[in-house]
Amino acid sequence: MNNTLHIAGREFSDNARTKGFWINLLMFPVILFASVKVPQLLEEKAKPTRHFVLVDQSGELESVVDGGLDRHYQRDVARKLVEYLQIHAMPEESEAEEKPNMADLLEQLPANAMDFNPTGDMSQSVIDMLDQLDPGIIAMLGEPGMLDGILAMMKPKLKPDAPDFEAPRHMLERAEMPEGAWGEIDPMTASKEEIVAHMKPFLLNQEKFSDHEDPLFALVVIPLDALQRLQGKDKPPIDPLIAPQLGVQFWSTNLTDKDLAQVVERALNHEVQGRELLARGLDGNEVQAAQSTKMLFATFDPKKAVGEEVVSVADTVRKWAPVGFVYLMWVAIFTVVNMLLNNTVEEKSNRIIEVLLSSATPWEIMSGKLIGIACVGLTMMVAWIFSLLGVLKFMAGPSVEWAGVLFEVIQTSGLLPLFALYFFCGYMTYSGLFLAIGSLCSTVKEAQNFMGTATIILMVPLFTMVFVTMDPHGTLATFLTWVPLYTPFVMMNRAAADPPMFDLIGTGILMLVTVILMLWLSSRIFRIGVLRTGQPPKILELIRSITTPLKNQ
Amino acid sequence: MSDYQYAVELNNLTKRYGDFTAVKEVSLQVPRGAIYGFLGPNGAGKTTTLRMILDIVKPTSGSLTVLGAPSAMDVRERIGYLPEEKGLYKKMKTWAVIAYFARLKGVGGKEAKQRAYELLERYGLKDFSDKKVETLSKGMGQKVQVLASIAHQPEFVILDEPFSGLDPSNQQVMEDVISDLNKAGSTIVFSTHVMSHAERICDRLLLIAKAEKIFDGTIPEAKAIIPKMVNLSGVDDPNKLRALPGVTSAESTDGLPGSYDVCMADDADPQQLLRDCFRDDIELTSFNYREPTLHDVFLHLVGEDAKVASFR
Repeated sequence: MNNTLHIAGREFSDNARTKGFWINLLMFPVILFASVKVPQLLEEKAKPTRHFVLVDQSGELESVVDGGLDRHYQRDVARKLVEYLQIHAMPEESEAEEKPNMADLLEQLPANAMDFNPTGDMSQSVIDMLDQLDPGIIAMLGEPGMLDGILAMMKPKLKPDAPDFEAPRHMLERAEMPEGAWGEIDPMTASKEEIVAHMKPFLLNQEKFSDHEDPLFALVVIPLDALQRLQGKDKPPIDPLIAPQLGVQFWSTNLTDKDLAQVVERALNHEVQGRELLARGLDGNEVQAAQSTKMLFATFDPKKAVGEEVVSVADTVRKWAPVGFVYLMWVAIFTVVNMLLNNTVEEKSNRIIEVLLSSATPWEIMSGKLIGIACVGLTMMVAWIFSLLGVLKFMAGPSVEWAGVLFEVIQTSGLLPLFALYFFCGYMTYSGLFLAIGSLCSTVKEAQNFMGTATIILMVPLFTMVFVTMDPHGTLATFLTWVPLYTPFVMMNRAAADPPMFDLIGTGILMLVTVILMLWLSSRIFRIGVLRTGQPPKILELIRSITTPLKNQ
Repeated sequence: MSDYQYAVELNNLTKRYGDFTAVKEVSLQVPRGAIYGFLGPNGAGKTTTLRMILDIVKPTSGSLTVLGAPSAMDVRERIGYLPEEKGLYKKMKTWAVIAYFARLKGVGGKEAKQRAYELLERYGLKDFSDKKVETLSKGMGQKVQVLASIAHQPEFVILDEPFSGLDPSNQQVMEDVISDLNKAGSTIVFSTHVMSHAERICDRLLLIAKAEKIFDGTIPEAKAIIPKMVNLSGVDDPNKLRALPGVTSAESTDGLPGSYDVCMADDADPQQLLRDCFRDDIELTSFNYREPTLHDVFLHLVGEDAKVASFR
């Protein structure tokens, strides 16, 4: 027993001392944090303002595009305002029974905002309302004085040390061509080809087009007859081959950032749809009102207690959280069993194993390695889970609402103990397998060959993760549940969907039997394998050597 | 410490791998306190025999006792083992490797660390104590491994090819280690295919070839097996030589003209042969009598086959 612990201790410190292990430990929270924060930061700070030149030969649509840009900007403002208020508003003192109708309140706001003193728990109402990004409210936000009004109104509700609200910068901006930049052509009458040819050097960033530091992002050309070439159900069809030549053209070297193109397209379509309504004698507001009519619709879960059946965000998160756990488990198990494999091959290839065998029984060596590596895995898991919780708690806020929910779910759903159980069973099964492989291979290279095949087989739980979550009691899920190599992963995957008792207990027994069988088998193979030299044995040879007594080997 | 007469006793020990017989019916007694050499060409069965003694490999048939116990596993804390192919954990510090193996043999943590440092100092590796094993040269690594196998002060040490890969000065260090251990009361079994080491330090030896024991006993006993041999050159008439008393044969030495290897009867005296040569007026340019080496003994016992085997 002592020897088992010595061996376990050495395995642990040997692996825990490697740089890779620490990088692994630290990378997880860093990546987790970065994967949420970096895109946000990039969006806010690093992404340059998209400047574009608009050539509107129709002469009617420039203001339409500007309006679209404005609405887009106001959405950014609203989003940022929500974030600002959520971070800096003081915690609610009491749950307000009656929430005031904010839309009504805001209508009067610009006039009397300064002497407006909100009562009750209005700050949350403001946040909720803005958070819905309702087009009406957003349009209102763009009215002069409105933003200041809301800020003034909310001021008493903010924490004393709250900084001033900083409006976001304009991400999309229309740029005017500087005086004389058009040269000899008149953009109002020139052909599209001429305009594009003239603008190409600017678009390709070969020539600076103004004092702007950012290069010209795009050119939008609205031809003279754009408004006559509308598409629709009762409009004459246009040959799709030539259609792109006829309508509005959006020129840009950046094909991935679709924001600007979408904003412009949406604004133009919104405008022509409005005109179409008018032309047909319909009232745009009426149509909008009619289109916004909705049935009340909610999703319920019969498994939940009476009164709580409504499916919330938390339920969705809860349903999908196991996917994260499966992934975590998979990564952790394969990281550590790889350590096990490498250590075993190392010991075998440099003959340390012989010294070990003269000092300890094969069983002691094996169990020592299993325990030592398991501790490495546990350390990693514990560190990951704590950093996951930490990062979630830290990030839980307006922009990453799911983080807070996930934090709650992980803490309360009872998934953690199940995770511990399945991690243990999965680890034991796979470590047995990899220990056996390791003991049969004389070089790391040979082991890698086995690993290739093994990895493909072991990828299955990852591939099926999403399908199992969507249909946790379906044929695929049930089938994979009973494949011993996949049981821990699939059961973890199904854990949130309350699998039937039969599956829970049945797979519990199955896993136990698998673990015992695996350890027995691998101890046999280990015993024979570690002293073997040369090529790994053929399958038949292997079966024979497992079944024959040691003295005849 | 239990009472036993022989550190190792083997009775008809046999190991077969399928159709291949690695060790065939070897019986042996290693007296307590002896330095016992296992000699034989590569593939003779030395390592397999040592592994069976250590209970790393199970014998197919036959029985053995180690330090009076039926299995080395029962007394493993009193045994030290240096395997044939040398290797250590590369990423561990030198002292830690030695201490680790000592701890596996039941030495306490502090004690193990202290002994590791002492041994490293005694054998000239003090400066490397806190370095990682991967920084050591091959020879140093091998020394460290030897130290790791004896740090728990075993009463019985098995060294498989302890000299291979060492330069002459380190081979000397290795011989010193062995004699230090022996002086401290340990029984030592080591294998080698280099006869000269065995000849210098062994009390007793086992000669093994093609899985079978061909001799065991002391070195004088081994040497007594082969006839005394005198090399004469400048001989004009070998027939006169062959007629001398005590001469059993006189064969031309590798076809060299006038050079003859003369084998003598066990009780014959080389001095008398020289006198007889003068008396009978046999022409000589040189007379060369030398003690037989273990190599000669081995060649004699194994015959021509052994010459083919890789020997130095």
